[in-house]
Amino acid sequence: MTFEEAQRELEEIVHRLESGDTSLDEALKLWERGEELYRFCKERLDTAEGKIEELAGRANAAKP
Amino acid sequence: MKVEAIEYGDRKVFSVGAFNRGVASWLQRLPTVWVEGEVTELRRSERWASVFFTLKDPQDGSCLGVSMARGQFDALRLELADGDRVHAYGRPELFEARGEFRLRVLSLERFGLGEHLAALERLKAKLAAEGLFAAERKRPLPLLPARIGLVTGNDAAAKSDVLTAVTTRFPPANVLVAETYVQGPRAAGAVVEALRALCREGVDVVVVARGGGSFEDLLPFSDERLVRAIADCPVPVVSAVGHEQDTPLCDLAADVRASTPSVAGRLVVPDLAQLLERLDRSRAGLERGTRRSLERERRRLDGTHERLARAPRLLLERRRAKLEQSAGRLRTLSPKATLERGYAIVRATDGIVRSGGAVEPGDRVDVELAEGGFGARVEDTR
Repeated sequence: MTFEEAQRELEEIVHRLESGDTSLDEALKLWERGEELYRFCKERLDTAEGKIEELAGRANAAKP
Repeated sequence: MKVEAIEYGDRKVFSVGAFNRGVASWLQRLPTVWVEGEVTELRRSERWASVFFTLKDPQDGSCLGVSMARGQFDALRLELADGDRVHAYGRPELFEARGEFRLRVLSLERFGLGEHLAALERLKAKLAAEGLFAAERKRPLPLLPARIGLVTGNDAAAKSDVLTAVTTRFPPANVLVAETYVQGPRAAGAVVEALRALCREGVDVVVVARGGGSFEDLLPFSDERLVRAIADCPVPVVSAVGHEQDTPLCDLAADVRASTPSVAGRLVVPDLAQLLERLDRSRAGLERGTRRSLERERRRLDGTHERLARAPRLLLERRRAKLEQSAGRLRTLSPKATLERGYAIVRATDGIVRSGGAVEPGDRVDVELAEGGFGARVEDTR
């Protein structure tokens, strides 16, 4: 799953929950799924490394 | 003329003239071609049958001697000056007397900006006809690229503009930079190779950035190979080449065109602060939505419970209403209404008198009227 897919699904879930036409069981299931998606997205942002590499440097480093 | 060698034992030796003739005749087998270059050292004399000049490659300085029949040259009235760019149509030849190699030109055309533009327009029309620039080919950029490829020159302005824009907006960005030639005859091939190398390394999106330059500086970015490589790139490409008013063909083939390297940098990454805010909003919405759903269920349950509690009293009231209704009907059946119309009820000791035979003259009876009544004695009977 990509970040975008996760974010889109999360926002759809919120929309459904807020529209209020879900049963309680369904609402709880959606909430659980939503929390899972939120954690996924947050983790993607938190674990990004933030680095700038030079391709040439990498190529040279790869040589013996 | 025959090319004959003198034999000294087992060694074959050519005279200079024979060697030159041999090479010259071999060269004649080469085809006639167009050569592009800048005119330098133009030498023309009324005493010579030919004019001479040197064609110079503006990119790497390679030189080629040229000769052309003076009559033909003069007829073209090109009025060439040093540095003018020309297309020369000719065949390689060897000037035998001096052993000098040169291009014997049969036709010569000035090739300037206008011709460059026309050639570019032809290429543009051809690629457009192939659908290389079509809107439906454009791919959306990934919202959150795991790694961004950057193809740029090593002179840095464009490179640092992109990197600054990227890291300001999205500090945790991961960028793989391929420095390459962005000008001169090797640029197009080098950029193509850099693009491929980045894709091999695995990137989600590529930015091709180059600062402004002269029309000719930017020409490699309209090179057919480069334009095709951008169109064929397996991941989306953002092109930021030259200034706003320049439109090298690579801009048209790219998925997104950025007016400057900084804009390109901002396009390929999301705004981290905004992204986090949006995510937090979603999460708040998730909690709010779930709580709302819970509360709605609770209210519904409360409502049902209340109705349950009200049920017995409702039943009682319904019964009472029914009773009242019966009482009403009972009242309309009572003789009171009949008495109001002027009738009377006569009672004797045995009860209500319904016939004359039930009483004897002299009997005492009670007469009941709508209002009050009186006692009476029977006079006679019928």
